[in-house]
Amino acid sequence: MDEERNEVEELAARARSGEAEAFEALYRSHQAGIYTFILSQVRERELAADLTQETFVRAWQSLPRLRKAGAFRGWLHRIAANLVRDEVKSGRARLEVAASVLATNGETLAPEPRADAAEGPEAMLASQEMKGAVWDALAELPAQQRAAVVMHHVEGMSMTEIAEATGVRPGTVMSRLARAREALRKRLSRYVEGTDDLS
Amino acid sequence: MICHKVRRKLAEYAVGGLRGRTRARIEEHVRDCAACRAELAALERTGGLLDSLSLEEAPAETWAAVQREMRGTERVPVARRVRWAWGTAAGAVALAALVVGAFVLGPMGPAEPQLVVATEVDEEMQATIEGHLSAVWAAPLSDEAAVGLRLAVLEDDG
Repeated sequence: MDEERNEVEELAARARSGEAEAFEALYRSHQAGIYTFILSQVRERELAADLTQETFVRAWQSLPRLRKAGAFRGWLHRIAANLVRDEVKSGRARLEVAASVLATNGETLAPEPRADAAEGPEAMLASQEMKGAVWDALAELPAQQRAAVVMHHVEGMSMTEIAEATGVRPGTVMSRLARAREALRKRLSRYVEGTDDLS
Repeated sequence: MICHKVRRKLAEYAVGGLRGRTRARIEEHVRDCAACRAELAALERTGGLLDSLSLEEAPAETWAAVQREMRGTERVPVARRVRWAWGTAAGAVALAALVVGAFVLGPMGPAEPQLVVATEVDEEMQATIEGHLSAVWAAPLSDEAAVGLRLAVLEDDG
């Protein structure tokens, strides 16, 4: 983890001084995280792709002013979150949309299914269905909780890193994760309630 | 600890947010209470489900589009940010000195004091304004942006 962080720090420092190749390496290692984060917020693939593009363009433009190269990922999320907020303000995107609305429109937040040779077709289908249900449950969370969950569980960011990215205290991040966990536990009860501990 | 008190804290416990005595009390209760243990297990399984979600790649053409934009854009200079805080403070002090000086010492100054001092203030304020615009552009809700905005309002009022 430290090695990865050092590598990002070095790439960010090089990109800051104008090395386009270093910035491309940063793009390659961060695009999926940013795209998934934005998609979880705006829930439209085309818009998420546009905002991902804009996030990296703005990052390139303002990289010379990034003081701590090691904070690159959090800083990038901050740019993305600002762009999402602008979209919401302009009325082009909505943060609070019930999953049932998405279902009616034939859209889903769940990422495109990916083939996994190690799984049999039935297991894969069940796994895809479950993941779809989790994404749909996530879609019903308040935007700030959803953002914290995606950054922590899907992108693997620490609470401190999320706090830096969202401009709140780590305690607030923890609280958002806890409230989200409670809500998701109820919404996903059919997948998480076992009988093994009910003796 | 009784069940309903434990239940209120279980999610925080599950996300690793509790330390010290509260954490120890919950662990002690859960050891003896099957219902709370089952609830904790469900919360932990929920965490496991979330951990199983995977990232989605941005469309392949996105990088090409970013590159095109990169070629046609200008980067924000480094120097402004470093100078910003001091520039703002110096600008505010200089402005205050100018106002006080104009009232108190005005008649005793050189032939055209306002013109000379105003030029110095303009340069500082210009740096301040540019720094502020950069801060607003990069992070509209940052402290720097807010302070800059406040100063601008004060100057406007003044």
